[in-house]
This record gives sequence, structure tokens and C-alpha cells, in this order.
Amino acid sequence: MVSMKKGVIRKCVVSLLAMSMMIMIGGCSSSEKPVAQGASAGGTAKLGVVSYLTGAGAAYGESIRQGLELSRDEINAKGKVKLELIFEDSKGEKNEAINAVNKLIHKDNVVAILGPTLSGEMFAVGPIVNQEGVSIMGTSLTVEGITEIGDYVFRNSLPEFAAIPQSVKKAKEKYNLKKVAVMYSDNNDLGVSGFKIFEKALKENGIEIIAVETFADKNTDFSAQLTKIATLNPDAVLVAGLYQEGALILKKAREIGITVPIIGNNGFNSPQLIKSAGSAAEGAIVSSPWYPGKDDAKVKNFIAAYKAKYNKEPDQFAAQAYDALQIMAIAIEQSGSVTDRKKLRDTLATIKDYSGVTGKFSFDAKRNPDMDVTVLIVKDGKFTELK
Amino acid sequence: MGYRASLASYVTLLNPISHPQRLLYRIFSSTHIVTLRLGGFRLFWQQMVNGITLGSTYALIALGYTLIFGVLNIVNMAHGEIFMFGAFVGLMLATHFNVGIFGALLGAMVAGAGLGYLMERLALRPLRRRNVSELAPLISTIGVSIFLESLALRLFGPQAQSFPAVYSTQLFEIGGLKISVVQILILAISFGLMLMLRFWLSKTRLGKSIRATAENIETANLLGVDTQKIIVLTVMLASALGGGAGVLVGLAFNAIEPTMGITMGFKGLAVLILGGLGNITGAMVGGLLLGVAEILSVAYGVSSYRDAVAFGLIIVLLFLRPQGLFGSQEQQGGR
Amino acid sequence: MDTILNPYYLQIIMFIIINAILGISIYLTLATGQLSLGNAGFMSIGAYVSALLTLKAGMPLYMAVPLGGAAAAIMAAVIGIPTTRLRGIYLAIATLGFGEVIRVIILNLTITNGALGLSGIPSMGIMLSKGLTAMGLGAGIGNMSVRQLGTIATILILASILGFLVFFSLRLSTSRLGRAFAAIKADEHAAEISGIDTRYCKLLAFFMGAFVAGIAGGLAAHISFYIGPKDFAYHRAVEILLFAVLGGSNVVWGPLLGSVILTSLPEVLRFATEYREMIYGGILVAMMAFRPQGLISEETLGYWQKKFTSRPTATKPIGLPRRTTP
Repeated sequence: MVSMKKGVIRKCVVSLLAMSMMIMIGGCSSSEKPVAQGASAGGTAKLGVVSYLTGAGAAYGESIRQGLELSRDEINAKGKVKLELIFEDSKGEKNEAINAVNKLIHKDNVVAILGPTLSGEMFAVGPIVNQEGVSIMGTSLTVEGITEIGDYVFRNSLPEFAAIPQSVKKAKEKYNLKKVAVMYSDNNDLGVSGFKIFEKALKENGIEIIAVETFADKNTDFSAQLTKIATLNPDAVLVAGLYQEGALILKKAREIGITVPIIGNNGFNSPQLIKSAGSAAEGAIVSSPWYPGKDDAKVKNFIAAYKAKYNKEPDQFAAQAYDALQIMAIAIEQSGSVTDRKKLRDTLATIKDYSGVTGKFSFDAKRNPDMDVTVLIVKDGKFTELK
Repeated sequence: MGYRASLASYVTLLNPISHPQRLLYRIFSSTHIVTLRLGGFRLFWQQMVNGITLGSTYALIALGYTLIFGVLNIVNMAHGEIFMFGAFVGLMLATHFNVGIFGALLGAMVAGAGLGYLMERLALRPLRRRNVSELAPLISTIGVSIFLESLALRLFGPQAQSFPAVYSTQLFEIGGLKISVVQILILAISFGLMLMLRFWLSKTRLGKSIRATAENIETANLLGVDTQKIIVLTVMLASALGGGAGVLVGLAFNAIEPTMGITMGFKGLAVLILGGLGNITGAMVGGLLLGVAEILSVAYGVSSYRDAVAFGLIIVLLFLRPQGLFGSQEQQGGR
Repeated sequence: MDTILNPYYLQIIMFIIINAILGISIYLTLATGQLSLGNAGFMSIGAYVSALLTLKAGMPLYMAVPLGGAAAAIMAAVIGIPTTRLRGIYLAIATLGFGEVIRVIILNLTITNGALGLSGIPSMGIMLSKGLTAMGLGAGIGNMSVRQLGTIATILILASILGFLVFFSLRLSTSRLGRAFAAIKADEHAAEISGIDTRYCKLLAFFMGAFVAGIAGGLAAHISFYIGPKDFAYHRAVEILLFAVLGGSNVVWGPLLGSVILTSLPEVLRFATEYREMIYGGILVAMMAFRPQGLISEETLGYWQKKFTSRPTATKPIGLPRRTTP
């Protein structure tokens, strides 16, 4: 017994030593010479990107990546600032995102970070990044409470609480809504927060909610929920979720004969919605700062360049990512340093009246975007403005 | 251009040569056009039709699980992913080679059988040689399922895809309720398969060999049954069923994507336990029950808990009757 | 020294320790030959309960975490009592289902905030560094900031919990109860016949596993500010299984090794993240085919023990001819 215990204790010690040696060696061999924060040769600003690149939601992360790369190439070509993007895949998982930002901050010494893709990831990494004094800018986060995490947390994606009330108001004016049904994805933070904001906006506009149904991401069968809703005869149906489920809901609703307007949250704002739903998408309403049909040279150039490079239409994720990098570049240029993290944050907070593909943009006092929103409706297979 | 619940569109729907854009829709339960104005009674039966159709898809999947369990005594956790691959193969055949519904179905079944063979050869056979615990094949098939799921994500991408709009849909009226062609197809194929299987297993020589192997593999060997071949055959058969189910479900719900295997797989497992491990009739009845229960829970209860209905049922059942509805007493425990 | 204390590595070490604790939770149930695929569900119960206790009720950590573990163990009774009298497969599927049910419940309760998750959970590192500041170490030691000290203190606490669990498991394996577990794992019928109360033992092992998983959940919640239902999905349960399967399911060192490898490997192989899931699947299949007991098994331990202690161990028989009695 004693010998076995001693052997065990020895094994303990040996393995602990081995582990710590491994880590030390690993750490020592890969540490670089102390480089000035955030810079590599020649005054290039190093930016980290945490994005959902592989896994079930990879489509969104890919769009973001494509928007960023297009933006980076254009900025570097212009020559006023030089940017280097370091991409890390978070797979949509909180722990991965945490490791990714740690690596970017402490090993790659980036000056700021763009992303992550999901709000849940931001709630986990935001406090860490904020503590370390590195700015982080979300390009696709629309739930509440993001920038409240700290002074270093920004976002250029219009939060739902700014966009949804617009579409509800406009729809009420145009269609004289009195009672509506609401459907939302209950296992998706976008869906849940979208629902809460719908509720609030409807209450403020004096519209009655006669039914609330839920579904889940990746669900394919909505017959039960929509049948229930159809029998209650609402003036409109509001949907909060992602575009995949949104398209299926549109299709099923039109199939079973629901003809009233269908209003979506941010998730509806994607060319994929129209592609998947086909003609069922006609009449779908959503409000968004990204309006691809806008008569604006910047928007047209962006769409053309994006199509040329990636052979598909840009969606809102790509557009917002594109603008985000442009804003970041301006802030870097204005701050006058490619390595000073604090100065970058302070300059970023003062960005006002920037004109991008998603419209006029300023950061408000809480580092949320202050931008205009267009209420869009799908007509003839395209998003057009709802007047 | 509206979608009016009027007699006009009702008629156009019945007419197979209709507005081209109509063909886009896989009409799963267009029956609701009529139910909008009807009362609760019709609504209930309409929801029952929805439930039975959903349930028959679950039953199809459970058939595959139950076959493999009957012969190999293991739960094939990768069955859901084979089902998903079948759907994708059918989709690829339909979109790139224009083969039509039955071609896609056949292709999917062949692909399923192929995957089943590979799985048996690489993941399951080495385990039989080694005489490992009951858990090892379970864990191994979990590995296969994870592998297949991520492979599919890489090959086909995460987006949901649907079958092209070449499959016309027709409605039939039965007692005031409308059912679409695809729904009837699913019901017919799953019931037909069950009957065929039962007949085959009890009457033909091959079927009896399978039953013998399922009963006791050593004795079957002694009696001259080539159990190795039988096992491979059963796995391939079960996986072919799974692949075919994939195409049918893909047609019914019109959304095929790599993660569909996990949820369907879970539901199939629930049916497996519900009906009794290794019991074919149990799989069919259990599947229908689960489908109906899920739809009713949405229609009359809380829609947010519908995903938990399946497993809530299992847990309750395990308390009361662990051998399942149709399982025999000896299948319980291991005592 | 500065390189080890890089917060990037420290965070990874914290994850490794938590994963090791999770690995032990599945090891405890595997010790009786039962497979629990629901440990992610128990972990989530522990995480949510302890996070809600610290967030809403302001309970101190050393009370909240064990309560989380206890909640998980209580829920384990729901599954455990009916299924421990059945074959292992029933438990595996039932725990899988249980994990799903828990996930759906969490998504729907208002108190758990549904899909939005709980954010702003007090972090252990911050609480500890506040404590250290209160003790007068506000300026740090040497060139380590007080925040880094807080993180190191967190790691020490986690490591000591892990150490205690390892010690407990080692004592268990040589105790009478542990031998009963091993007997059940080897051959349940024979164990029952020789008078072991298999049902009680299996249930006990299952409870222990759930409790440890709950504790791990509570700890995990307090090192990352935020928990959401997505963190405890089916894939997590498979990951936990992987720790034990890869490292070794017979000895407590196995899950430790498994968690070290599988937590640090993705960081080392960052370029291969796209293939990670495929590699995991491949590992499961390969391990079962070639070495189902995992990398470290009792023979391995005996072998290394012999090498280090150079003393004849119990596993090697003394080479004297023995007369076999009829």
C-alpha cells in the first residue's frame, strides 16, 4: 500500500513537472521579441478578427469575412493606412472565442478587434477585452446590452431596438394594423431579443398581440404554428429569427393561405431570404440600414466590387463588416498611431458623420450606431423601399 | 399577386398544370386552405393528419435503428447522419442529373447502403473481433456520426437547400381533409416497407437467417448461417432505409442541411425506446405516436416545449415500462 | 517567467482543469460500466443554479458552486432511479434525452433568460484580485499585476479542487466500493451473484458523476462572465466523453490526460480548426477499434510504476511454480 502510494505521488510530481515544462517550452519557443503593441514592419496596423467561420452558422461568418477582406484591400490600395487582418475562427462557441481574443491580444498584439459574430460570444469576451484595454467592435450584434459591457466595446451594427420600431410604425400606418400574431425562434438570442422588442413596439403603437408561437433554429416544419395563427385571423404576422427559418415560414404561410403582411426582424434582411422563399417572399417587410437598391454611388460600387470578387450578392453582414473596417481605418488614421490602443479607442468614440454603404453613421454616447433606417418591402423579387 | 384562401386558388392547386410558381411549393399540408373557416373539430383532424405524416417519417428512421439493434444489439448513433447523407445524395442527383423522384430515392438508398457497409467494415467489425463491452460500438458509432456531420458541412455547406421545382404536387380529398402527393408517398412507402419487412423476415430464407442471427449469433453460426454476411446485409439494408427516409423527409419539409441528422436521429432514438428495442411494429406505432404527440403539443399546448416531448416521453416510459410499448419482458435489463 | 503568465496560456490552463473535472465526472460513471451522455446537461444545471445564486441572491462562491452540484445530483435521480436497473444502453439514451430536455427547459424559463443567457456573472479572478487588494497586494508582486495574481489564485483553487477529486478517485478505486464498481464493470451478472448490490452501486456512481459535473459547471460559469444554452449542447457531451475515451476510461489519470490533450491541441493546431470535428470522430472510432481502454490503462500504469519504483508490483506475478488446486 505504501509503495503504491509513493509510486502514485511520484507519478503526480513527474507529470506535473512534465506539464509545466511542456508549457514553458511551448511558451518560450513561440514568444516573439517584445514588439511594439499592434504593429508589424512599416507601420501597418494589426487588427484581429474573431468570426464564425466553420460550423452550422458559418454562412454569416463567411459573409463578414468577405466584407472585411474587400474593405481591407480597398483601404490598403488607397495607401493612407495599411491594415493587416488576423482571422480566428470561433466556431460560434464561447470558449473558442475567449481563446481567440486572448491569443489575438497577448500573442499577436493586435491594436483592436473586430467581431465576434454572435451576441453570446460578445458577452463572454467583451469583459475580457475591455479589461485589457483593447477596443472591440461588433459588426453583426443587434441585441441589447452589448456596449454596456465597457468603454472599449463598440458596434456598428444597428441594434434591433432602433430598427424594429421603425418597421412596426410604418406597417401600422400603411396597413392599419390592429391585431397581430408573433412567431420567434426561442433558442436563438436574436429571436428572443427580437420578440421582446416587437412586444414593446407593438404595445407602444397600441396593437394587440393575439398569438405568440415559437419555433427553433433549424426547424423545418411550421405547419402546426401557422395553422393555429391562420385560424385567428391576424392583420399581420411578425417573425423574429434567422433568414433560413424566415424563408420556410414565408413559404408555408403563403401555402396555407395567410395573405396578410409578414414583418421580419433583422434576420429577414438577406438576399438569401428571397432566394430560398422565391415568390413567397413578396410582401415581406423589414427595416434595415442596408438597402442594396439605394441610389448611391458608394453602394453601387460596393455591390459591383463584391460581386466581382465573390460572385454573389452582398448581404447585410458583409455590408456592415465592410463599413466597420472603413470606420476603423479612419480612426487609426486620425489617432495618428498604429499601436496605441487607448488612443484608438478614444478616437473611435468620436467618429461622426461617416458616410458608408450602410448610410450615414456616427457613434452615439454609448458607442452604439446612430444611423438612419429604411423600411424595406420585397417587391418583384427585390428589396424596395416601403413608402 | 396574392395568395388568397379563395376557391380560385383552391382550384388551381388541384390542377396539376397550374401557375409555374405553384410548383415551387412542396405542399405538405395545403389542406389548411379549407380549415381556415372550419371549426375546432376539423382542425383537430387536420392536425392529426399533420401528426401522422410527421410520425411516419419518424417511423421510417426508427425502422433502421431497430433493424440494426435486433441483429447487432447495438444502437447505431450514426443512423441520423446516414439519413442526412441520403437526403443530400438524392438532392445532388435531382439537381445535377435531373433524375426525378424515384431516381433520387434509389440513389439515396444505394448511398445509404454504401455508407452502412463502410461503417460496418471500419467501425463495427473490428469491435466484434475483440469482444468489447456493449458501450464500445455505441461510442464508435457516435464517432462516425460526428465525422459524417462535419464531413457533410464541408462538402455541402451549412446552408439549407431544397429539391428543385420539377416535382408536381397534387391534392387528394379524403373525407374533407386534403392530403398532398408527398404525404401519401411517405405514408405508403413506410407502411409498405414495414409490411414487406415483416413478410420477408418471417417467410424468406434470408429473412429467417437474419432472425436467427438476431436471436443468438453462435447458434446461428453452428446451424450454418453465414452470420458475417447477414450482419453486413442487415446494416446495409437498415442504412438504405435511412437514406431513403432522408429523401422523403427532404421532399416533405423542403429543407436539407447537414445538421438535420442530429435532431432526426434523436427522435428516432426516442421512437426506438418507445416501441421497444428491436421491435419493428413497435417502431412504426411508436413513430406515429411521437409525430402526433409533437404536433398536438404545438397545436394545443406550449409550442416551445415540442422538442422535449420526444424525450420527455422516453423518460416517463422508462419509469413505467422500460421495454417499450411492444418490447418483450426479456429485453428489459440484462438480467 | 513572463511567458507562462501570459493570460492566453493561463486561460487555457483554466479550461484544461475544468475539462479534467468533467472528464472525471464521466469516469466515475464509466467505472461501473455505465455511459452517461447527459453530463453536459448536469453541467448546465450546476452552471445555471450557481450563476443565478451568485448573480441574483448574492451568495458567496464557496456556497453557490456546491449547491449547483447538489442540484445536478438531485436531477440525476430523475434519470438514475428508473434506468440503473436496466442495461447500460438505456441509461446512455435516457441521459442523452435528459440533456435535451434540460436544454429545452433552460430555453423556456424566464429566470434563465432563455436563449440570451446569463451575462455579467461575477468572475472568480476578479473577486480574488479584489480580495488580494484588500489584503494590501494592490500593486502586485514583482512585475505581475494584481489581476494576474487573481487569475493565478483562481488556477490554484481550481487545481486544488481537481487534486482533491483525483485523490478521492484514487482512494475510491482501492476501496471496497471501488472494487464493487470494477466488478460490476467487468461482469454485472457475476457481481450481483457474489452479493454486490449492483443497483445501489450504479446509482451511487451516477450520482457522483452528476455531482462532479455540476461542480464543474458552476466553476466554468464563474470564469467566463457568461453562460448560454448553446454552451451545453450535445456536442459538449460528446467532447466530455472524448476525454475519457481518449485518455483512458479505467484510471482517473486517463481523463486528465485526455483533457490536457484535447484542450490544448486545438490551440496548437489552429490551422486545422475546420477538420477538428472530423478528427474527433475519427479518434473515437480509432480508439474503440484499436485501444478501447484508452491511452492510459492499468497495465500502462503498472508498467511505468515498475520503471520508477523498480519494485515488483502486484500486477506482475512472482515466477514460482504454483500448484493449482482442483
